Amino acid sequence: MIALETLVDGVVRTLTESVLPDVGSRFARGQLYAAIDVLRNLRDRIEPKAALLAAEAESAAAALERVAAVLDDDALRDALAVATAGSLDARVVALRAALTDVLARIDGLPDDRAREARAAVSAHLAAQAMRDLAGVKPSLLTEISKG
Amino acid sequence: MGDDALADRLGRFVADRLGTSARVVHLERSTEGFSQETFVFDVDVARAGDVERRAFVAKREPVAGLLEPYDLEPEFRVLHALSDDPLPSPPTPWFERDPAVLDRPFYVMARLPGDVPIPAARADGSPPFDDAERTVLGPAVAESLARLHAIDWRALGLDFLGVPGGGRSAAEREVARWDERIRRSGLPVHPALAEALVWLRRNPPATDEVTLVHGDYRLGNFLVAHENGVPRLTGILDWEMVHLGDPLEDVAWCASPLWRAGTPYASGVLEPDELAARWSRTSGRRADAERLRFYDVLAIVKMEAIMLTGIEAFRAGRTADLRMAIFEHQLPFLHALLGMTRGWLG
Repeated sequence: MIALETLVDGVVRTLTESVLPDVGSRFARGQLYAAIDVLRNLRDRIEPKAALLAAEAESAAAALERVAAVLDDDALRDALAVATAGSLDARVVALRAALTDVLARIDGLPDDRAREARAAVSAHLAAQAMRDLAGVKPSLLTEISKG
Repeated sequence: MGDDALADRLGRFVADRLGTSARVVHLERSTEGFSQETFVFDVDVARAGDVERRAFVAKREPVAGLLEPYDLEPEFRVLHALSDDPLPSPPTPWFERDPAVLDRPFYVMARLPGDVPIPAARADGSPPFDDAERTVLGPAVAESLARLHAIDWRALGLDFLGVPGGGRSAAEREVARWDERIRRSGLPVHPALAEALVWLRRNPPATDEVTLVHGDYRLGNFLVAHENGVPRLTGILDWEMVHLGDPLEDVAWCASPLWRAGTPYASGVLEPDELAARWSRTSGRRADAERLRFYDVLAIVKMEAIMLTGIEAFRAGRTADLRMAIFEHQLPFLHALLGMTRGWLG
């Protein structure tokens, strides 16, 4: 949700505006300036790991295909065709949006029709949740809160 | 504004309100609250030829933050109304909206003794409380919550918070409130969150019990002091989300996996079932399982709405507070919790 460039810009801004003024020692200030320099130059050389996005796109598209089959829904098939075109980034965004729309539509269906469609989406959500978890580390909340 | 200027202005404000001379002798920005700006300060106040030192906390509206749009006045009015209640909420005498005083609206409350344990394991991986501490604090947390829900909000004139009608309206109102915050962030709704929202809209439980609801009653907003090694719950803080509604919203929020600090315990102090049972015994209210399940899901949705608001504030450059940026990589944990709570993740 936060583009990597925006994230790096934000870190640089915070270090420059909020942290640097409170750093007293010349050595520490020099190190901080060096860190800012590294970040500013790293900014345009990083990108999200394509493999993670590809795995999400493939899993989401498979779930939506199952839902389209269960519902026999041409409009959904068309939406899926649109969502699987474009850059990997754009595909993931479009597929997430399609899933969000489908969840609302499933909700209006009778239980017997909704069950299989819901199961397809749930299987994707579960697999994606595990993939997403594997990519993050627990935050240093105590240290961040207590300083 | 630098800290010295802030201290001068706060000193003049306190002096004006007390009608005597006052000087801020210590001021510190607190890092513990993620939402409002919090300033801890001590004031030397002239009293009958002597000097009395008094301890305060000022809460100021941030430029941008987790609970936008901000309006500090409702929570001030609640805290002010509760100042004489036995519930350990901080006595809160003053609110100021004039930007000439501190640039943005703020209120001042008395500083209660104690520390705020953080809802995370300690740096060495140990829980926030040992068994002996939990034995004392667990009942206190459950019973204080029951006490909070027993407050006669009509008698205190708190109906300005908006009284939900009977039936499903309290639950529906909360879903609408948080749905709106999510929408206002302008960020795309993740499918895991969408699934939960669909379910919440479909399943609001009915209740005719309407109480004061703290809205953020949990580890991280409790003040705990130790006297002779024995812990005591000395304060219930951060009333920014106070409203009128179903008391089980607070029970579910307090018991949520969000605040277990690496333990199996609700807010690090009690088994979740035991929290609900103790609250029920003390309050004389039923901890209905179906309503609790609804508010279990809502708790995680609320948290995601709060994080999305912070992420958007950072993304848009309205805040340079990097603590907003860390929410980006907290979302996968929330989605996994949603999956477990909703049952699509085993």
